[in-house]
Amino acid sequence: MPIRYDADLARFEAACTVEDALPLAEWLEGTEAPRVDLSGCTDLHTALLQLLLAVRPAVTAGPEDAFLACWVGPVLGAPATLPPIGP
Amino acid sequence: MSELFEQFVVEAQELLETAGAALLALERDPADRASVDELFRAFHTLKGASALFDMVPFTRLVHVGEDTLSLLRDGRRAMTPELADRLFRALDQCARWVAALEGTGTLPADAGAVAETLVRGLAGGEASAGAAASAGEVDAFPWVAALTDEERRAAGGGTLTAIDYTPDPECFFTGDDPLALFRRVPDLRLLRIEPTEPLPPPAQMDPYRCVLRFRALSGAAVEAVTTAFRSVPDQVRTGTVTLAAAIAPPAAAAQGSLAAAMLEEQARILDLPGTAAERESRRAAVARAVTAILTALGRPAQRATVAAACGDAGSLRRFLADGPPAETPATAASRSAPAPRRALRVEPERMDALMALVGELSVVKGQLGPLVRRAGDGETARDMKAFAARLDGLVGDLRHAALRLRLLPLARVFDPLPRLVRDTARRLDKTVELVLDGAETEADKDILDVLGEPLLHLVRNALDHGIEAPDRRAAQGKPPGGTLRVHAFQDKGGVVVEVSDDGAGIDPAAMRRAAVVKGLLKPDAAAALSDADAVRLVFAPGFSTAGSVSDLSGRGVGMDAVRAAVERAGGRVELSSTPGSGTRVRLSLPLTLSITRVVVVEAAGSLYGIPVALVGGVQRVPRAEIRAVKRAESVVLRDRVVPLVRLRRLLGQPEDERAREADCIVLAELGDGPVAVAVDDVGERADVVLRPMTGVLRGLRGYAGTAVLGDGRLILVLDLRELL
Repeated sequence: MPIRYDADLARFEAACTVEDALPLAEWLEGTEAPRVDLSGCTDLHTALLQLLLAVRPAVTAGPEDAFLACWVGPVLGAPATLPPIGP
Repeated sequence: MSELFEQFVVEAQELLETAGAALLALERDPADRASVDELFRAFHTLKGASALFDMVPFTRLVHVGEDTLSLLRDGRRAMTPELADRLFRALDQCARWVAALEGTGTLPADAGAVAETLVRGLAGGEASAGAAASAGEVDAFPWVAALTDEERRAAGGGTLTAIDYTPDPECFFTGDDPLALFRRVPDLRLLRIEPTEPLPPPAQMDPYRCVLRFRALSGAAVEAVTTAFRSVPDQVRTGTVTLAAAIAPPAAAAQGSLAAAMLEEQARILDLPGTAAERESRRAAVARAVTAILTALGRPAQRATVAAACGDAGSLRRFLADGPPAETPATAASRSAPAPRRALRVEPERMDALMALVGELSVVKGQLGPLVRRAGDGETARDMKAFAARLDGLVGDLRHAALRLRLLPLARVFDPLPRLVRDTARRLDKTVELVLDGAETEADKDILDVLGEPLLHLVRNALDHGIEAPDRRAAQGKPPGGTLRVHAFQDKGGVVVEVSDDGAGIDPAAMRRAAVVKGLLKPDAAAALSDADAVRLVFAPGFSTAGSVSDLSGRGVGMDAVRAAVERAGGRVELSSTPGSGTRVRLSLPLTLSITRVVVVEAAGSLYGIPVALVGGVQRVPRAEIRAVKRAESVVLRDRVVPLVRLRRLLGQPEDERAREADCIVLAELGDGPVAVAVDDVGERADVVLRPMTGVLRGLRGYAGTAVLGDGRLILVLDLRELL
């Protein structure tokens, strides 16, 4: 499972595909103050990206994948390139 | 001055004219796409052409103008009269600069400062970033002009490929991942991810429907970029754009590519030594090669533009570095409209030389006639006669053709009118529709020159004094907007221009009062004037009907100047006016000044010419019908008693002793009524080149000049006004 849901934190890992869209949508909707950790994500499907853009959860860690770090992280308001200080 | 530069001056003048006309049309109808496009093209071409020379302020001004138009084009800025004013000012300034360039070869010293002022005016209310982005992009990628400074820095300068990708909303079902496609774009410089519409609240969002769109810039060439989007060709648009930020890599082709090497080689070829002819043919070959390479690179450039840039290696490199105008297929298609016919430019001196030659040819041909008659009746003589007849025909045709060369359409004098009406009406807060009609009517260039000033004055007058302010018009039940009609047409042997308005008209009573107040007429003389004559007082020198001198008409050019100019050229001015419903002024002018059509008449064995413009008719009148009171004779023609004069007497020649049954009468229509002129005989009508009297003959009164007939005979052309 590329996305692991931990109470109010979703960890994105490896390639996150369109299959994750529905569960992510439900989780985002059902979670009070959702947070996401994108550090392990190597591929983020557009469907997931637009959900994150719509809900704008707090991004605890930006993606480390170069492409995502460069183009997607800033859009989602990820904390620059520094590694997260940990929950 | 190089040929290229001269060509630029000529083209710039044409482009500025085109732009002015398009701007007028656009102001009238802000939704007029064709005019925006035309205006944009004019600015764009001016920018490209001016960049070949060292005229930074010029280039900068047209560049900003182009940017402004691009905003207008994609609806991010609206056309307002104020914006039109600013664009007109920019065009006017460019025209002044072109005139200066033509004269001195350089822009005036203050050009930089002037350009800045105008640029600020144009840029007012427009995103400041827009000014730094250039041409191609604005065609298809308006967002490129609106990049933030940061994005601009990240993207770097030069020629980039812009990508506009709006995925199909259902694309997730076909397995597409739009974002992932951008991983395959080489040299990605910018990626903007934006929702196509405001994102719905999460609860209402369909996770399987794509609502994002992507805009990107890449440093790679278009074809390299399009490969990445091969699976979604219908959802993506790519095109070349130029960012002005950094000039760095010469960018028509990716550096180091084969195309770049080939283009550089073309530039080198231009610099090779050789004779003028060799270099000329090389230039043509290079222009062909460059066009082909650019087309192969996916950016077709216009041949003419490329050819213009192939002057020398430097200008070609600049042209390639600045990037040829990028065209998306859509705009390329819209440009395939037929190219306007190019006019041939000929120096007036050459025209005159041709006319003189044609004249001499006619004279020489005329001498053939007597020769043929002398040859008798033999077979040779018959052949010669046939030959002479053919020659006659040909020379006649040649003469006619040469005369027509000098004819130009009246459009030349009509062209400034829309702008004049627009500016004037705006200044006076009036609404005026200008209806131009008959611009294709032709007249001699000299006549057009005569016509220009008076026409401007009449139009200005009609706007200032004729057409009333909207509220006054409304109060009189007229439509609030006035109509000004300028109508030109051909009339027997001449050209007529009518200027009519639906304004207040001229009040004869006011004219009479004004004439008395100005001391032009005694009160009783003024009262005795008919309404029509009172209205004609506007032509009296020193007469102005304006209650106050406005900045429009208070320029010392009165209606009397209009009349004087037209009459000098052998024309007439007529005026009719109905108080409350409008005024019409009619200018009649001969077709040409250099050619006068005359009726040839004979008196005491000599030939004379009378200008056809004055001749109302020719007829034989039996002696019995001529009434004489002492020596003053008169005749009744067309129910009018017309004074009769004998040309022999006028010229101081002996009386005709022959007893004649009837007299040949030429009815001359002079300003103050018709006069019958009795002559010995009336001959042909002929087009002649009138030569003014020179030398000791100049003092001779009563003659307009001399002319040579087609058969070589010399005639004196009479000036009947002076003679009588």
